[in-house]
Amino acid sequence: MDLSVRIGSGTLPNPVGVASGTFGYGSEYEKLIDLSIIGALYTKAVTPEPRPGNATPRIIETAAGMLNSIGLANNGLAGFKTAKIPYLRTLPCPAVVNVAGSKGDDYAKVIEELAGEDCIWGWEVNLSCPNVKTGGLALGTDPTEVEQLTSRLRKLSSKPLIIKLTPNVTDITAIARAAESGGADAVSCINTLVGMVIDTKALRPVLPGKTGGLSGPAILPVGLAAVYRVARAVTIPVVGLGGITEADHAIQYLLAGAHAIQIGTANFIDPTVHQKVLDGIQAFAVLHNLQSIPDFHQFIE
Amino acid sequence: MAHIVTSVLENRPVAQDYYELRMAWPSWAPAPQPGQFLTLRTVDGPVPLLRRPFAFSGFDRADSAASIIYQRRGHATTLMTAKRPFDPFDILAPLGNGFPDPKSGRRPILIAGGIGMGPMLFLAERLAQTPYPGILIIGARSAQYLPRVVLSRSVQTILCTDDGSAGRKGTAVDIAREEIRQEGCAPELYLCGPHGMLAAGHALAEELDAPSWVAMEQTMGCAVGACMGCVVRVHGGEEYARVCMEGPVFDSRTIIWT
Repeated sequence: MDLSVRIGSGTLPNPVGVASGTFGYGSEYEKLIDLSIIGALYTKAVTPEPRPGNATPRIIETAAGMLNSIGLANNGLAGFKTAKIPYLRTLPCPAVVNVAGSKGDDYAKVIEELAGEDCIWGWEVNLSCPNVKTGGLALGTDPTEVEQLTSRLRKLSSKPLIIKLTPNVTDITAIARAAESGGADAVSCINTLVGMVIDTKALRPVLPGKTGGLSGPAILPVGLAAVYRVARAVTIPVVGLGGITEADHAIQYLLAGAHAIQIGTANFIDPTVHQKVLDGIQAFAVLHNLQSIPDFHQFIE
Repeated sequence: MAHIVTSVLENRPVAQDYYELRMAWPSWAPAPQPGQFLTLRTVDGPVPLLRRPFAFSGFDRADSAASIIYQRRGHATTLMTAKRPFDPFDILAPLGNGFPDPKSGRRPILIAGGIGMGPMLFLAERLAQTPYPGILIIGARSAQYLPRVVLSRSVQTILCTDDGSAGRKGTAVDIAREEIRQEGCAPELYLCGPHGMLAAGHALAEELDAPSWVAMEQTMGCAVGACMGCVVRVHGGEEYARVCMEGPVFDSRTIIWT
């Protein structure tokens, strides 16, 4: 059985990654988790300039989910280079740098400046953060903009280029096709869903920015349907995420057409989730005599 | 920091809506310090979803036991009241930074409000074994919220209530101010409780030009420094600090209180 995943010019050792924003840069979890079994570590978003992030509270729990409004808090490109790159060089698993910004130049700047770093396996382009005022989500909802930006970023690096899609659009497949046309090696979906909670005692939204991004088990069926549709609209690999907390959920994504998956919110809850999901995928492959990841795609039309 | 699946030893009410939960502490696990906290899973399923943070209220290596005090407030804490001896208990611990020792010649004044009593009981117990024992002042709304059964004889303790139904009438910070004046000591303040109480404690420390340490609270995601969710606004180079990593104990002068 071969569980490796080929994306563009690169290969991931296994399909189970950890989602951007839920795993820091890896060092935060090294005391709790064997990082060498992680298929891909998608870093906290990197923007050209440091961002302090949004006002508090930044997190509120919802029914089987959580709403966050972190606001891409990060140390910026210079901080990333001095404080995080040396650590990523020691990481025993592939590091995918999540790139964010508020305009095309921001994304290009991050990739351009980091392109020569051997410790970076590839890029995940965050065109879909719901928690920043400009860019992000706005950039990621227009197919023409997505195609143009993907094509621009494609020229800057030969490393695998993954475009992260938002579910907050009418037709996610149109955005996925635009990314493919622009030269993306894969798409990952879904980012968080825009959500809101109102405090009826205080008579105001709980999050200072009013809305946030919904993640966790509540969004599993949404992510699954998105991956199912996107996998049938493009020929490049699809990385599925949204609501995975156990092996069965990850297997559902693979059956729906994903080549790899990411665990997000569940990292906060169960430090052993990654191992359990990987073990479960392996057991499922043995049970059904599947030799490789594409074999998972044969069951569902 | 470790992922520990241990067992509940005891889960008992200690005041109205307040419970003390004692858990077995494995010999391999790092010892929790006063001010440090754990996060726990209340159930395996998706509701409640996130781990919940609680400060340690005691630790005894000889007994192989640690404890927390929690208040029944919502769904998660109501589920916690159903935990029985030998129930499995899934925690990440010990997390964050504890309280520092008092500076030489300073009299530790420990001020606890409501659920903030847990870490203050732990710290008071610890300081009672040193040459610089403190005064523990516990404030509550009224008599039924005072955790009389967990108080230690070896700690000098003052109880107070907002309505005067037990102990002295007044807020814990006001009582602290009176005590410090009466003793004429050079104090060092340690505080845990509601935000308003911490801010009042900081104001008192400024008034007395005394060092003061506050244990901050914020809604948490990962509790290990990754998600940037549990921040508070601070003075200095960075606009925010993470409660789980840079805290939960902060020098009160670093916090932006407005």
